[in-house]
Amino acid sequence: MPVAKEQKTNPLALDFCGLSLDSPIVLLSGCVGFGEEYTRVEGFSNRDAGAIVLKGTTREPRLGNPPHRVSETPMGMLNAIGLQNPGVDRVVDEILPTLDFAETRFIANVCGSRIEDYAAVTRRFDNSAIDAIEINISCPNIKEGGVSFGNYPDMSAKVVAACRAETTKPIIAKLSPNQTDIRENARRCIEAGADALAVINTITGMAIDVERRRPVIGNIQGGLSGPAIKPIALLKVRQVYEVAGPLGIPIIGQGGIATARDALEFLIAGASTVGVGTALFYDPLVCRTINEGIGSYLVRHGFGSVAELTGTLVTGTAPATPRPGPANESCA
Amino acid sequence: MSDPARPHRGTIFVEDAEVLSIDRHPGGQFILRLRSPKCATRATAGSFVHVQCDHTIPMRRPLSIMRANADEGWIEVLFKVVGEGLFSLGHKEPGDRVSSLGPIGKGFRPDAKRPRTLLIGGGVGIPPMIFLAETLLNDAGNWQPLAIMGSELPFPFELRRSAIAAGWIDADVDRNLGLLEDWGVAGRLASLTGFPGTYRGYVTGLAERYLASLDDSALAEVEVFSCGPTPMLKAVAALAARFGLPCQVSLEEYMACAVGGCAGCAVLVQTDEGPAMKRVCVDGPVFDAARVFAAA
Repeated sequence: MPVAKEQKTNPLALDFCGLSLDSPIVLLSGCVGFGEEYTRVEGFSNRDAGAIVLKGTTREPRLGNPPHRVSETPMGMLNAIGLQNPGVDRVVDEILPTLDFAETRFIANVCGSRIEDYAAVTRRFDNSAIDAIEINISCPNIKEGGVSFGNYPDMSAKVVAACRAETTKPIIAKLSPNQTDIRENARRCIEAGADALAVINTITGMAIDVERRRPVIGNIQGGLSGPAIKPIALLKVRQVYEVAGPLGIPIIGQGGIATARDALEFLIAGASTVGVGTALFYDPLVCRTINEGIGSYLVRHGFGSVAELTGTLVTGTAPATPRPGPANESCA
Repeated sequence: MSDPARPHRGTIFVEDAEVLSIDRHPGGQFILRLRSPKCATRATAGSFVHVQCDHTIPMRRPLSIMRANADEGWIEVLFKVVGEGLFSLGHKEPGDRVSSLGPIGKGFRPDAKRPRTLLIGGGVGIPPMIFLAETLLNDAGNWQPLAIMGSELPFPFELRRSAIAAGWIDADVDRNLGLLEDWGVAGRLASLTGFPGTYRGYVTGLAERYLASLDDSALAEVEVFSCGPTPMLKAVAALAARFGLPCQVSLEEYMACAVGGCAGCAVLVQTDEGPAMKRVCVDGPVFDAARVFAAA
């Protein structure tokens, strides 16, 4: 008779709107190309991320913005890539077949200039191997669409509803921080059918070359990312969690996460998963460090799984609830 | 563990690289030797390394690899301070460590049917030309490289009166980099500043003197390789086009990830399918000059 092996559970694994993720780390759209780019780096594995969000994809191919497209800022960077992509047909027909879906979950990132473009791209991805679809209503770097949808709750809701009608795959609405009240936008996106929310996209900004008195970025303005925006992103996650948490809508918390401690802050604030982007540019192997750091924190604080940590922020004068963990089991 | 279906995997290495030496030169120029054995093994002329200069400035800086010694496990880069990051890198001492990511990029691809390789380097564009010269030196082919280097700062190398004759240029233009001289690689220098023994003018002026001295059969054996400031590269591309010569240029652009993930370094390139934005990091940094400087 075969001996039953003890099933070792992975405390970092979680269910994210029906997708089984092996880690709460989500690699963010625009930072990791179409899913294979970082595997060039020895020691990097797509398996270290729970999910990878592919580069923003539009109905037709886009060349994107002229150089310079990136510029370093104190503890951050500006980018204005302008959604360079080969168009959804080539992504679905030529790129998705090259990805190893056994390694991680792959999420599409859908963008457009008109609502019908978002719907068309979502429809194309619905009939593909992609695991989920992120609706990019917050790209700050294109002239039409993108953030012009994301800054207005009515428009955000219309885009999400149009995409919802085209797919049964999980839909994630990527919210813009460049708006008055992100809570209202979150609520409207949930009502329109979003299964999850990504909080936040980059914050618009610019840099000037004073010697030439010209903008550094070819597009004049860009999106600010990196550790510089972390406190802003963290508050936005907390605010969105107030709306999304009670409805059971999970959040990808993102914006400046570079360490396990950063990731833990977002989880405690209410995120179910944590997005990593710019930090890869600092350390391409950062996922392993973050996974290890979260894992050891869970043990140290007696959490059985990462999902238990979401939204456990303690406010007011109440003490943090003691957890039944290795440190206090003997007291039970 | 290699994956035959995905040969790109695991070809770029993160290394905690020890500073083996740092040579300081006038004008804020530095030659840095790093222990980076994996990078050294795979580096090719034209490839670069993405270096984190300091923990407080976490974005990396792309630096062309000038020399790589796989047996001894080191790489060498040359840089000029242009901002805080490289300022910080310039203050490293032997024994310090920096994170290196490399080698990255598609390098120069010299055509054996054109053994008269003309290497034109300007300023911090000199390093890949030195790498290419050393590569050709160690190759079995019948290469006859000529290096033309320009700088407006004092050359960060020992200069020497060349023992290799160059009948195509005035006798008083006689200096070569000592390194190239040791290797037996012909070379002459250009500078508007008028350093002794250099051609007073642009590298393209000096290169034009050489090309004009060749007959048609010799010209048919010439291929041009270049790295330097963009205006110089455009002039080199125009010169090559005027003489009907193939020309490969190594480009520079602001860069974030350097592994193809962010498309931050993309430049406009004419392809057979029309205009496309190509990433300098992994699609380049070396491109066919005629395809990036269409007006040339």
